[in-house]
Amino acid sequence: MAEKYQLKKTEVWDGNMAAAHALRQAQVDVVAAYPITPSTPIVQNYAQFLADGYIDGEFVMVESEHSAMSACVGASAAGGRVATATSSQGYALMVEVLYQASGMRLPIVMTVVNRALASPLNIHGDHSDLYLGRDAGWIHLICNNPQEAYDLTLCAFKIAEDERVRLPVTTNQDGFLVSHTAQVVHPLDDDTAYKFIGDYKPLNPMLDTENPVTYGAQTEEEWHFEHKANQHKAIMDSFPVIEEVFQQFKDLTGREYKTIETYKMDDAEIALIVMGSTYETAMVAVDEARKKGIKVGVVMPRVFRPFPYNQLAEILKNVKAIATLDRSAPMGTTGALYNETAGALMANGQSAILTNYIYGLGGRDTTVEHLLQVIEETQQNAEAGKRVTPLQGFINLRGPKLSFN
Amino acid sequence: MATPKEMLTTWDKIQFGAVLPSFEDPKTKKRSKFHSYNYKVADWRVEKPVFNPDLCINCDFCWVWCPDSCILVEEVTTKRGKKQAKMVGIDYDHCKGCGVCVDVCPTPIKSLLMFPEHTPIEEALAQWPKKEDKKKD
Amino acid sequence: MLRIRWHSRAGQGAVTGAKALADVMARTGKFVQAYSVYGAEKRGAPMTAYDKIDDNPILDHSKWMSPDYVLVIDPSLVYQEEIVENTTDDTIFIVTSHLPKDELVKIAKHLEGRPLYVLDAIKISQEEIGRPIPNTPVLGAFVKVSGIIDFDTFLESIEDILSKFPQKIIDGNLRAIKRAAEEVQ
Repeated sequence: MAEKYQLKKTEVWDGNMAAAHALRQAQVDVVAAYPITPSTPIVQNYAQFLADGYIDGEFVMVESEHSAMSACVGASAAGGRVATATSSQGYALMVEVLYQASGMRLPIVMTVVNRALASPLNIHGDHSDLYLGRDAGWIHLICNNPQEAYDLTLCAFKIAEDERVRLPVTTNQDGFLVSHTAQVVHPLDDDTAYKFIGDYKPLNPMLDTENPVTYGAQTEEEWHFEHKANQHKAIMDSFPVIEEVFQQFKDLTGREYKTIETYKMDDAEIALIVMGSTYETAMVAVDEARKKGIKVGVVMPRVFRPFPYNQLAEILKNVKAIATLDRSAPMGTTGALYNETAGALMANGQSAILTNYIYGLGGRDTTVEHLLQVIEETQQNAEAGKRVTPLQGFINLRGPKLSFN
Repeated sequence: MATPKEMLTTWDKIQFGAVLPSFEDPKTKKRSKFHSYNYKVADWRVEKPVFNPDLCINCDFCWVWCPDSCILVEEVTTKRGKKQAKMVGIDYDHCKGCGVCVDVCPTPIKSLLMFPEHTPIEEALAQWPKKEDKKKD
Repeated sequence: MLRIRWHSRAGQGAVTGAKALADVMARTGKFVQAYSVYGAEKRGAPMTAYDKIDDNPILDHSKWMSPDYVLVIDPSLVYQEEIVENTTDDTIFIVTSHLPKDELVKIAKHLEGRPLYVLDAIKISQEEIGRPIPNTPVLGAFVKVSGIIDFDTFLESIEDILSKFPQKIIDGNLRAIKRAAEEVQ
């Protein structure tokens, strides 16, 4: 039996340590990983916990991230609770296998520390990797601070392994801004955390040799479409389960998570939509702007996939102008959050003025001051009743103003 | 279309995660509809292997080599109490007539020989070469 | 909110120092944030680490800061003007140097007229800990100067935080912290 880890009621952990403790408390059977900055400490700490006797499990060192995810697929198909961590280039190398994992309906949990994609090489936080894995059939949860990285990693196991879902889940945290920033975390004790997640229930495990199964079957045109449609429905239908798990977590801890987080949206006339740690910075900016009489709120999809588009439209029902902030270069179009928001509004017959900002690439700092500028520009659009600012702008970019219309 | 029509299904009834069970009932080893055993692929055979049990030494070479698992065997216990796979025949539903089994058969007079598809088994066994025939060569 | 910026060279323990301070303050019920700005990721490269301490949860995740305190734990960085960036007239500087305050200001002119405290944390850490890792003595000087937390409570917390190290290291650090608190001026 694994030893219990003595935790204080209040710990000061960075996001990596928080995620590592969540993996430890979940008593993951197999972690296969190829460590990469800035997520390295997650697997490093996990390996330490394992070596110190706090986990009954296996840590598999592999020769690449492609192998890491492949080993995770194998271990999960074999019938164990499986997790890993990665970032950036490692995530990119995993992409092929991400689709295999979701297609085989394997409830793997991956803690992703979001980081820019080369070239040029950069170790700092942006959402290039998150957006790369967007359509891979995984549920993507967003964490904005170490407490959330801990909480949502626990929730991730419960969501992924629910028999109504059985899909892989990532928990995303901003590289360095969350992963290497120590903040106050209130952890659960080991028994409570494990009890919340529950024992792993294998489904069609390959290690059941009495009942052999084939994983990774080939399905050509007569079957592939039906499988993919079925898989898509599974992720679309996962909302009630996600909400149920969040509710159970709230009952246990008092900490509340929603599929879409909002701040001061009740009477808001303009809104920012942003994901990641900048959501919290934007809350500070909203408070500042409201002191000047601007009725602004901020919205964050906590669950990026499945995307809660109807709920988003409902929240934005009364706003006049919206700025969507994407932390990834869309390379040839508007950002993903802009597109999702535009689709959500259009589908519900709404037509707020919508602009897009690209920010924070490669860890570029985004301050309250920068967000106040965005709020002011969005307010100009709301007052004019039409778009008077560029369709797409760039926040805190050096050089002449860059924008697209 | 490669898949039999009766196997096609709709998106809401599709096999979970494309994970395919081998058996419908593992206890009785009742094969599931996904088992490749259900695909009969022998119709195009022009020559078939015929098995002569009188000459077979149960070396299992054919069983090892057959690419379609068409050598039928059963488990027997030898006089010395050792378990052995005894060859009992050929699965003509899946044999494509490639002739590998005949090629690898090591007995002085082959215990597996190819005959035209329509030759009855008794007739084939009656035509089997004798030791004397071999000496004449 | 109290804002502290550390100037250090990678390997001198500013990240550990910043996290230790955050840990100490969290034990008193405060909310904290400790982070650092990584550059070339090379031992010896100048780098900065940050602490934010507040009664309410800290939401601002931007790296930019106008500090209330600047802690310079490497003596050579005292001469670089980067240490006064984004500061106000009220920003308090606690720097490590072998020079007395008046002589130091003659060379490091950007510190002239600034609220300034000096200690020789390198010498203290070498003599007490046996290695030139000046993070804990500067932390001791900061606690003394700021009065942010009762000194004995601080020592208790630090002893607990360092508990994974051998007793010799713990004792050395505690001696260095106490000496720094006495010698800082």
